[in-house]
Amino acid sequence: MPCGEYFTDYESRMGLVRWRTQKIALAVGLPIPFIAPFLLGGGTTTLLTQAYIFAIAVLGLNVILGYAGEIVLAQGAFMAIGAYSTSRLLAVGAGLFPALAVGGLISALVAVGFGLPSFRVKGFYIAISTLALQFIAEEWFFVNSQLAFIHGGTTQSLPSNVGLVGSVGTLGTTVDKYLLALVLMLVFAMLSLNLSRTGIGKTFRAIHENDLSASVLGVNVFKNKLLAFAIGGFMIGVAGGLFGFQIGFINAEYFTIGLTLEHYVMLLFGGLGRVWGALLGVGVVTLVQDYLNDGLNFLADLTGTNATALLPVFFGAIIIVVLAVEPKGVLAGLGKIKEYLRTWPFAY
Amino acid sequence: MVNWVTLIDISLSGLGLGALYALVAMGFSLIYKVTGVLNFAQGQIAMVGAYGVVIFGTATVLPAAIPAWAAVLVTVLLGVVLGLALERVVFRQFIGEPVLSVIIVTLALGSILEGVIFFLYGQNAQAYPEALTFGGQLSLPLGTSIQAAYAVAVAIALVVVAVLMLFFRRTVTGSILRASASDEQAAMVLGVSIERTIALAWTLSIAITAIGGILLATSSGGAAVSIENTGIIIFAAVVLGGLDSIPGAFIGSIVVGVLQELGSYYLVGGTAVYVPFTDIQANFGAGFGEILPLVLLLVVILVKPYGLFGTERIERL
Repeated sequence: MPCGEYFTDYESRMGLVRWRTQKIALAVGLPIPFIAPFLLGGGTTTLLTQAYIFAIAVLGLNVILGYAGEIVLAQGAFMAIGAYSTSRLLAVGAGLFPALAVGGLISALVAVGFGLPSFRVKGFYIAISTLALQFIAEEWFFVNSQLAFIHGGTTQSLPSNVGLVGSVGTLGTTVDKYLLALVLMLVFAMLSLNLSRTGIGKTFRAIHENDLSASVLGVNVFKNKLLAFAIGGFMIGVAGGLFGFQIGFINAEYFTIGLTLEHYVMLLFGGLGRVWGALLGVGVVTLVQDYLNDGLNFLADLTGTNATALLPVFFGAIIIVVLAVEPKGVLAGLGKIKEYLRTWPFAY
Repeated sequence: MVNWVTLIDISLSGLGLGALYALVAMGFSLIYKVTGVLNFAQGQIAMVGAYGVVIFGTATVLPAAIPAWAAVLVTVLLGVVLGLALERVVFRQFIGEPVLSVIIVTLALGSILEGVIFFLYGQNAQAYPEALTFGGQLSLPLGTSIQAAYAVAVAIALVVVAVLMLFFRRTVTGSILRASASDEQAAMVLGVSIERTIALAWTLSIAITAIGGILLATSSGGAAVSIENTGIIIFAAVVLGGLDSIPGAFIGSIVVGVLQELGSYYLVGGTAVYVPFTDIQANFGAGFGEILPLVLLLVVILVKPYGLFGTERIERL
């Protein structure tokens, strides 16, 4: 990568693949995840599948929180809505894609509904109202057997062999699920990347920076906030549906405020408002979580205590340290190092 | 036909529950008013208070138990120390940071505290030491009655609230707190040390919240994880009362407490009321009592976001 600014027009400046190094990296790097499941063991493949699915959810969160700057704390509830809708549609044989799409749409609808207060209030009021949504979903709605006619039961098993549309293109093996999650993750990552480069994304960012200024400049703040809620909610809902399909079993206990916090750790660790940050955060946090879980399980067996309960303690500590040291996330920290090396030995 | 004695009974215990919530809610408002931090960890702090008495007052974790009154005292002291430590180590780093960072930090803090309690006790309820459990019923006029444990907790809660109000109105430290809450810069010009005021606010807030947790546990005979939910329910109270109003937090808590108790009795299970002119029971399923305040919260945010006594924020470019 040469030193200095070498772009002569806007298109090449905004391009996703700008340098020869990046072209080579893309050509070499892209096939790796597609070959990986055939080389890795089943356990690692499942772990990676889960990471891809969480990546979709975190990318959805990134649209709402990173781009539009609205603090939503109902990640678990949105995923639950997606998962239960998907489960019900799979049960009647609709096929995976229609089920995921409807799950995402319902999730988006609920997200927009809870975004409505943003018409009058901003910032933490949305955090409070979505936290209320999370609580209602987690403590009452999805555990209430009387409402089974809506959500279909607190615990549900999903069919393991499902067609993509109807009964066409059946998939069910671990590798199938891995590839499906990978492709969908890449699609949504491209979608978010393009969203952030185009007018909509810039509008979102303007609202994030200062919504009053944005509205003075003629941006319809309310409409755009709702749009962000809809896009993000859809992605989170789809991720919820995929999550349910991947483990083949859903329970209201999976979709708690703890899940919300986990996704916040991923997003903030990588870097808020950046697609690569979200992906990096998901990857690192998933791996760390896996190792920590193993370690704590070992410790629990060894000492006979409830050591697995300490996992949230580590996450909480990580998030506080990251926010105190580098609030823009690891990616911004790496960028600083890169900038330093690029101009070394000169200061600028 | 409504049974009036039952209705008064339920409303009374609702008022009492509200008084207990008021401590946690006032802890929240105090810290929001003085430092602008929205503390999402109130529920977990209250839970730490509740379990603190179990930790010190029973021999479940420590090798020996200390007397119950000493355990309560030590727990409140722990709250004071926790407040000082959190202000010093955590929240001082985040002065001037965006709202998002601060909210996430409090959420992370909540998950840390929760993790520690779960590590020590799992998700099981723990009974309080003998001296802090009160059996029996207390008869009141008109044939109504209230559980003794509940009455004791509520009485103490009301005393604490009264002392707090007096503290804010009558002492110099109290007026310093109020002064820095209403205008930080003006208070600084008048010679108030903001640093010390903020430390004091945190200490006071977390100590009150811990006392709230202890009393919530006392009223139900022991510490339970459900105390954590208080952290979310009090949002309904403080938003209704107006986020930056301490008396508003008190009044909001009372409303929320009554609503929760009425909801749990009249909208859940076999005691649910019938929808007028039909024979359908308005049974919303277990736990709806706690949901009802949140429904109120959503309505308040939509209709009157600054609450009853809150100051409306005016924005300038």
